[in-house]
Amino acid sequence: MIYLDNAATAFPKPAEPLRRALEQYLETGASPGRGGYDLSVEAEYEVEAVRRKVCRFFGGGEGWRVCFAYNATDALNTFILGLTQEPCHVVSTRLEHNSVLRPLHHLAQQGRITLDLVPFNAQGYVEPDAVAKAIRPDTGLVMLNHASNVLGTVQPAAEIAALCREQGVELVLDVSQSAGLYPIELEKWGVGGLAFTGHKSLLGPTGIGGLVLSPRVNPMPTRYGGTGVDSINLVHTMDYPYRLEPGTINLLGVLGLGQSLDYVNSPEHRQSLAHELELWARLRDGLAALEGVELYCASGPGERLPLLSCNVRGIRAGDVADILDGDFEIAVRSGLHCAPLLHQQLGTSPHGAVRFSLGVFNTEGDIETALEAMGRIAATAAVQGR
Amino acid sequence: MNTRAGQDGANAQLGRHARVVAGKEILFDSENFFWDFEDWSEEAVRELAEEAGLERLEEDHWKVIRFFRDYYSYNGRAPLNSKLKKGTGLSLLELEGLFPGGLKYGARRLAGLPNPKTCN
Repeated sequence: MIYLDNAATAFPKPAEPLRRALEQYLETGASPGRGGYDLSVEAEYEVEAVRRKVCRFFGGGEGWRVCFAYNATDALNTFILGLTQEPCHVVSTRLEHNSVLRPLHHLAQQGRITLDLVPFNAQGYVEPDAVAKAIRPDTGLVMLNHASNVLGTVQPAAEIAALCREQGVELVLDVSQSAGLYPIELEKWGVGGLAFTGHKSLLGPTGIGGLVLSPRVNPMPTRYGGTGVDSINLVHTMDYPYRLEPGTINLLGVLGLGQSLDYVNSPEHRQSLAHELELWARLRDGLAALEGVELYCASGPGERLPLLSCNVRGIRAGDVADILDGDFEIAVRSGLHCAPLLHQQLGTSPHGAVRFSLGVFNTEGDIETALEAMGRIAATAAVQGR
Repeated sequence: MNTRAGQDGANAQLGRHARVVAGKEILFDSENFFWDFEDWSEEAVRELAEEAGLERLEEDHWKVIRFFRDYYSYNGRAPLNSKLKKGTGLSLLELEGLFPGGLKYGARRLAGLPNPKTCN
């Protein structure tokens, strides 16, 4: 099977980091920081080591904080709900995933926020000036999908962050797709925080993600419970990281994330990213040459991740994906990719598009097979007059 | 809610609608998939196929429809793509061309299988 759905989750995962994490967990899997006995203290020490690793990885500086979450959606909800406790205006974009759109629309429906969504341009990028123009005196937050999970376009986060800060508003990034593929420099860029997940290009396990927060950004807790500290107080603590981490954390996930970060940081892995982009270029050029295949925002200048979306004229995206799977053993993702407004703007709603997303283990042979398969599908559709 | 008006309201809320096909009132979802697998009949599928532009269901159509229905009846779920190919002896690309509307909105819908929940 050829796996080209790495934007959903990386597969396969490098085995060694996960094995090492499991060994760590079996040795020190006590409740971290909840007890004073050595094993619990040791577990807490390991968790803190991963926190520091995450902070460094994303370019957080002195005073920056890391709080763990289940995944990016969980982290984004924590940001959005925690930073809109007072009624305010929020700016976001039509590139967003439902992990941002749904919490924002939920709040808008309740009358707790007003919302403006900035469109993207014909190349798949948000214009920084358009974001700046959408900011109002009552804007409390700007949320931006750093890299589109449908188009692969990487947004100019530093430029947008600078324009936001000029107007006294913090920018929060969703780096679900870019983390592990594109270098992120939070402090240097002047970004207020980010939400990440561990299981995509960070190559960690599912069930672990988190928030990285500048000292300027302090979401209010929106879930409450045990923290292992300040237990006498019936009101949830405002201290980090407990403020945003009620309940026992996913220790195995944290350890897996720590190990996968070491792997992703290795020079060998960094070299493989360049290879992924070469394969992506071959895929894009090959698809662009096929009669009846339409690509979306896959050309022109700008930073990109190794993924792209397309359609075959006359065949619904879901059927193309089923044919790729059933006839050619190629796994891709079709549909709206949880990004309904993006597809609406592209004109591909409600059936969406077929997305190819490359990973570290893909080869030139995989891409040639995918191109041959797409060629046959497009040619058959053309013969059938679709 | 047991009144006809109550039922209509509940159906509309779920995106369902009822219509008479081959002399029987049948519930469909918003994309015209059978709501209830058991409502399917050969008479109904002939009428629905004609509406979709298939004047006559040929042997290959019936082979695909019967495979879908037998598989679902036995396993309680739709066949995987690989099973569909093996079970019908047809490639999915061939199946796509066989039914107006293609695999999902053609073959699967006419076979009376539930609308898959994934957004593809």
